[in-house]
Amino acid sequence: MNFFFYTFILAVAVLLFLLAWSLRAPRKRRASSLDPVSSLQDPGRRHATYLPQIRRALAPADFEFLTSHASRELTRRVGKERRRIALAYLSGVQEDFQRLLKLARVIAVLSPEVGAAQEFERLRLGVQFALRCHMIRAELFLGLAPLPQLSGLSQMVSGFAARIETAITELGERAALATELASSLERRGVDLS
Amino acid sequence: MAAIALFQQALWALNSAGEVVLLTLLVVRKNYRSYPAFSLYLLVDLTMGATAFFVYRLWGFDSATAYRIAWGTHGIVLFARALAVAEVCRHLLSRYRGVWALAWRILLLCAALVLCYSILAARHDWKLALLTADRGLGLSIATVIVVLLLFARYYDVKVDPVVRSLAIGFCLYSCFVVLNNTVLERWLHDYSALWNLLGMLAFLASLSIWTGALRHSQSEAQPKEILLPSGIYQAIAPEINLRLRLFNEQLTRFWKVEAGRS
Repeated sequence: MNFFFYTFILAVAVLLFLLAWSLRAPRKRRASSLDPVSSLQDPGRRHATYLPQIRRALAPADFEFLTSHASRELTRRVGKERRRIALAYLSGVQEDFQRLLKLARVIAVLSPEVGAAQEFERLRLGVQFALRCHMIRAELFLGLAPLPQLSGLSQMVSGFAARIETAITELGERAALATELASSLERRGVDLS
Repeated sequence: MAAIALFQQALWALNSAGEVVLLTLLVVRKNYRSYPAFSLYLLVDLTMGATAFFVYRLWGFDSATAYRIAWGTHGIVLFARALAVAEVCRHLLSRYRGVWALAWRILLLCAALVLCYSILAARHDWKLALLTADRGLGLSIATVIVVLLLFARYYDVKVDPVVRSLAIGFCLYSCFVVLNNTVLERWLHDYSALWNLLGMLAFLASLSIWTGALRHSQSEAQPKEILLPSGIYQAIAPEINLRLRLFNEQLTRFWKVEAGRS
């Protein structure tokens, strides 16, 4: 009986926590940073498009050269800088991913039929992605992850975006869809901010 | 004890007055058109409260007849509350046809599972059967509302302030019912005097939230949502999921490589 007594108390505590969490105000972001419609209209603004520059900045050969020729202090400082760049870049890639995920949700909200399996799978994959990004971030922070591995992530995001755009274009009237999405969202309370 | 009984009676009168005020507001502001089930719930609760009051006065608190009638009327109130909560859910998501079709099934499943758990966890004492049902339904309602709000958050659906207040009121009251009944089940005799009093206080708090939300008129007709052609979802959703899967696989490989190195 004790067990059930405590499970009810715990259940209420969890429900109250989730209630407060679900009601909290969404984080303020830059006006268009997570706007899926603008991501459709301006595909050139993604973080992933800066991959060649980032890859060059994080190339292991440069760092190896520096390690063998420069002082320890300089090497340490450069290593720290590289890590900071990698972390900022990872955040950017994650933002790209979130924007595309948001586009998927907006399409689901405005669709007359949605597939339960698709929605659950996307939820699961989204959670998985977020957890893994946190782990990579922790590794980068501790100096365990090699920086060039990030390129795999970026390529995946840019490929993903390109395929979505192709799919929408294949359906035709891409501009009309974007306008329709934008006006529907503005009119009917799907909060993009 | 006498002080508690007096306070309880005063609170009963205050709750009834609060319900009358809210019902009047619903009629005057014509909000009953937008929230018919919620209005019905208040009316039923008020009527059943008055019935219980007269029954107890007629037969006394310890009478078995009064006990049966009072709990019987409570069953009707529970049913009306469930309808009002269903109305809140409909108000929030029904404009989005596809998501609503998915949401109501999940909400119903959640409610059924929680209710089953509550029944299994009960003492299986017939005297406590109604208490168990009350707690089970309270937990189901709280779960449904929390899942509903999580749904709205996940899909970035803007929650109308009135619907939000109704949901908060129902959820807080239901959570309190669960706690109150759980404590009562464990310390039956020591807690019974406080049980009713605290329950009424919790209801008064919810009533205040609802009255604050419904003091102004609401627009009756919800604007119709313009939906996208169904082909768009069917074409894009599997593509998105495929990319996400590939992305996660890439991350898994990366994680394994890292784990192997360290």
